[in-house]
Amino acid sequence: MADQAPGVRIDGLTVVYKTPAGELPAVRGISLTLEPGTITGIVGESGSGKSTLALSLLNAVQPPGRIAAGSVEIDGLGDVVGLAGEQLRKARGAHIGYVFQAAQNSLNPLKTVGKQLLDLGRSHGVEDLPGLVREARELLGRMGLDGARVLDSHQHELSGGMRQRVGIMLALVLNAHLVVLDEPTTALDMITQANILKIVREVHAERGLTTLVITHDIGVVAEVADRLAVMYGGRLVEQGPTREVLGAPRHPYTRGLIKAIPRLVGDIDEARALPGRPPTLATVPKEGCVFRERCPQRMDVCDTVDPSVVADGARVVACHAVTVKEHAS
Amino acid sequence: MTLIARRLAGHLARGFVMIIVVATISFFIINNIPGDPMAAQYDKLLQSGMSPEAATQAVKVLYGFQPTGSLWQQYTDYIGGLLHLDLGTSVSRPGQPVLGVLGEAAKWTILPVLGGTLLSFLVGVILGVYAAIKRKSKLGDALAISGSLLHGIPQYVLAMLLVVIFATLIPILPADGPVDIMFEPGFNAGYLGSLAEHAVLPIATYALSAYGGWVLAMKSSVVTVLGDDFILAAELRGMKRSIIFRYIARNAILPLFTILALSLGLLLGGAVFIEKIFNYPGLGWLLIESINTRDYALMGGAFLLITAAVIVANIVADLFYTVIDPRVRSGEDST
Repeated sequence: MADQAPGVRIDGLTVVYKTPAGELPAVRGISLTLEPGTITGIVGESGSGKSTLALSLLNAVQPPGRIAAGSVEIDGLGDVVGLAGEQLRKARGAHIGYVFQAAQNSLNPLKTVGKQLLDLGRSHGVEDLPGLVREARELLGRMGLDGARVLDSHQHELSGGMRQRVGIMLALVLNAHLVVLDEPTTALDMITQANILKIVREVHAERGLTTLVITHDIGVVAEVADRLAVMYGGRLVEQGPTREVLGAPRHPYTRGLIKAIPRLVGDIDEARALPGRPPTLATVPKEGCVFRERCPQRMDVCDTVDPSVVADGARVVACHAVTVKEHAS
Repeated sequence: MTLIARRLAGHLARGFVMIIVVATISFFIINNIPGDPMAAQYDKLLQSGMSPEAATQAVKVLYGFQPTGSLWQQYTDYIGGLLHLDLGTSVSRPGQPVLGVLGEAAKWTILPVLGGTLLSFLVGVILGVYAAIKRKSKLGDALAISGSLLHGIPQYVLAMLLVVIFATLIPILPADGPVDIMFEPGFNAGYLGSLAEHAVLPIATYALSAYGGWVLAMKSSVVTVLGDDFILAAELRGMKRSIIFRYIARNAILPLFTILALSLGLLLGGAVFIEKIFNYPGLGWLLIESINTRDYALMGGAFLLITAAVIVANIVADLFYTVIDPRVRSGEDST
């Protein structure tokens, strides 16, 4: 087991879902690199394909979906798209930790957290089970919980924030160094949200992790992520260092997203919701730009040609309008 | 443990009240159905050519008493006796206490019902899990269809089919009562063997007719659990298949225990047709007999026994949940 943060290289990843209308892509040709030791945030609306992307990292896209093309190279594991059976099972949990949305019940309701921890240990051939329990207690204590008590509790006896910390503990306790958090703060109150984000940041630094945070809340990304990737209609439309992207968004969708955030001070009407609705699996256009229906800068070329992904230093954008502007200047 | 004791006490108190209520209702209903056992006996004697005086005398001798008290007095006597577990004396079998008659019949009901239900539960639940996991393959379809088919055949039709096939066409199994009379009752190989041999067809009937319900119920329960988040979570944590399988099975089987307890309780009332077809002198058979002979005391006792069985089954199911479902346990803590 690699004891350092692994790097992850997603290349040309396409995930399709089988529907009555044939196989439709939920994620299309995404390339994204997670540098070792960084926190990457993926932002997108519901249905943008961000959860599908997250599951692809564990090669765990649920049927009727499947990875149709591309690769996910993880240091120390190789291409997880090629893994199957026992190899894949052992990689999950031991190399890659996955943290569920807090509102989801990610624990067996009939067993105590401690017993499920032991099940996890046995599944991964951990010989020193008392050591595993000790480690779990420490992790929980580190996150401000009474470890012994939590391990002795059932899911229904824990609050949302506590469950989320148990989820993080279970993702880390086997010493995984790549952690995927799917909507880690959704359905939590503001104080708990802030707490969880602080824990994510601190644990990330202390344990030397590579972290991927999936969220629809751009505020969460601003809080924790080093790099930000914006997804729309199954495509990555923009990515770059968080500060730069948020400070000077280039893609019209990113700009729309940022404009839609209500501010605590100032006029509430300043927040402007994006007009229109995000595309669903069935309504994603087959050709041309996926965002054109809602885009204020729509041009003729957008209807027919898929904008290519253009890198400019650390920034990457896929938009005809941006490319045209740069060529003009 | 004190929690379970507290729950049990509450249940017993409620169960007691329910039994008294049911006893009251059945007492008045039975008293209001037309027909009077002594009048029936009296008529029979008259028809056989006895003089009216002699017939009255004979009836009195036969039953040892003539009902004289008001209905209310009979009722209080009945409930009073009930509190001492005295259900009265059988009318059609003079001198025999109802409780004893019921107990004698119960042993012929409990064995096949318990055997058949538990067997079908075991097989049905296991096959139900497979039907759910393989629900997109031919095997899953076949299991579900077998469940629907057997579930759809009425119990008595199934019983007659079995009798026709295994007792008449290919006479390999007996269907003529609970045991061969040639054996001395007791713990000897001949008697027990005969007992088991005779129980095969009734048990098979109960098992086959209940099997479909278990398969279908377990299948839908497992399918529900398979869609739960914690199963995907366990998979993404790299849990072993065998452990995930146990998670699924334990969560899916929970709702089935209620059905199991209730069906056991109801079946203890005796399956009238089955016992008739296989000549088992069980509770259902006894109930029909008591109605035919206008045996009020026995009828009331049989009704009461069914009530008590259902109530006890409910209590057992609830206490069982306290043991196996932590959510029920702590639900009590907060009240």
